[in-house]
Amino acid sequence: MKRHVLSGLALLGCSTATLAQSSNSVNAAPPPPPPATATQPPKAAADMQMVLDQLPLLGAKPIETLTPVKARIQPSAADAAKAVMRKKGMSTAPDPAVTTQDLPYGSDPMQYARIYKPANAGGAPMPVIVYYHGGGWVIADVNTYDAAPRLLSKQLNAIVVSVEYRHAPEFKFPAQHDDAFAAYDWVLQNAQSWGGDTSKLALAGESAGGNLAVATAIHARDSNLTRPVHVLSVYPIANSSVTLPSRTDAANAKPLNAAMLKWFGYYYTSTMADMQDPRLNLVGANLRDLPPTTIVNAQIDPLRSDGETLAAAMKAAGDKVEQRTFPGVTHEFFGMGTVVRGAYDANAYAITRLKAAFGIRN
Amino acid sequence: MKLLMMSAAVAAAVIAAPAAAQVMTPAEYVMAAGASDLYEITSSQVLLETTQDPKLRAFAQMMITDHTKSTADVKAAAARSRVKATPPKLTPLQQELVTELRAEQGTARDAAYVAQQKASHGQALNVQKAYAMGGTAPALKAAAATIVPVVEHHIMELKAM
Repeated sequence: MKRHVLSGLALLGCSTATLAQSSNSVNAAPPPPPPATATQPPKAAADMQMVLDQLPLLGAKPIETLTPVKARIQPSAADAAKAVMRKKGMSTAPDPAVTTQDLPYGSDPMQYARIYKPANAGGAPMPVIVYYHGGGWVIADVNTYDAAPRLLSKQLNAIVVSVEYRHAPEFKFPAQHDDAFAAYDWVLQNAQSWGGDTSKLALAGESAGGNLAVATAIHARDSNLTRPVHVLSVYPIANSSVTLPSRTDAANAKPLNAAMLKWFGYYYTSTMADMQDPRLNLVGANLRDLPPTTIVNAQIDPLRSDGETLAAAMKAAGDKVEQRTFPGVTHEFFGMGTVVRGAYDANAYAITRLKAAFGIRN
Repeated sequence: MKLLMMSAAVAAAVIAAPAAAQVMTPAEYVMAAGASDLYEITSSQVLLETTQDPKLRAFAQMMITDHTKSTADVKAAAARSRVKATPPKLTPLQQELVTELRAEQGTARDAAYVAQQKASHGQALNVQKAYAMGGTAPALKAAAATIVPVVEHHIMELKAM
């Protein structure tokens, strides 16, 4: 509540020239679309295309034309992947090899975490992964992004803490970063009581959550907290430049396009100046002395260049970083390992990297 | 909530936002709320056909009772607001979710139901809150405000599952 008044006052203090962003209402009208780009994205692999083809069948409307409340009830890429699974005769029920528990880490109802644990967990302390979901900080929640944390828990025999956080535009930047950091601190204090070993702690996230994973590693470094042994950042938001190659070559990609990037920014920032904050524009942050990092990107994704330029900036800062761009796949592919081969390969790559970080042999 | 609306209103006035708020129309709200209720009722009926879990059974029965009531409340409010309410219809996504649920058996259906309920209640709360805050038809706006705590209660119960 206090935060809201403060953000209202902050808005009052700014000149009208810089205030082109949305109000705090979920009913705020969408921004005008950016100038159209004729460039058509590369062709997706057949299995990826099959998932994308479900979206119109499920009634998906273009997010960039909607208010936040309407955008939040649209079918997601995860819904599309499940529709393919169902049509192939596969089960869409959550894998029972992993159990979950929802626990609060703050006072707002959105500040809770879903704790994934292997159902057959023994007595030995397990590695811990703090995972942040995507959705541009405006749409989606821990329910939408169930696939990756569940898979990581099962494959790494690890506790995965999937963090729900407050959404924009009701709570604008940096509310999501504040929540991500608070949840990390909370995990450090509580993981042992869940059977976790914080000497084997990693950060992970997809899209907006891929940004939060790296930003939280920076927070751990700057606050002298226990540092993660590894960061897995999947197609992060990491570079506020509007002239990156992927902003053009994948401007008309699905399920994420350049117009949606503008749409998300309009709702999650209070002013255009926020975009240059190093927590959003990670390539401009102090990246020295960060944990070994794996960055996963999709070829057909307007955020591809974010991951590629973040990897280059981290290397220049002296970090150990590996980045791979998977061909024929799009944004959101990482949760589709059951039906998209490229996603299966990216999952295997990420799991291998995390196993090495945790000292798991096989 | 009052403060929140005040600060939003003040901010909007100062910013002279590029476009005015674009609240769901009364008809859009009635359609979204009705579809969401129908999905809750239908999926709960599908669960009750197979579940052996007494806690889930009680939850599904509560879903049917509460969402039948909210459908009636929205319908009555629509009449008072002189909004034509067509009979509720599942969206293509909700139709797919019900089909997915029917494809599961036993405890897999139980688990799929809980996962679906967690996702759909977050969305339902989002719609009800948005209309309770910005709705233009007073009777519907009031109905949305009374449905918000009901959905919040369901979410509380789901968090324990």
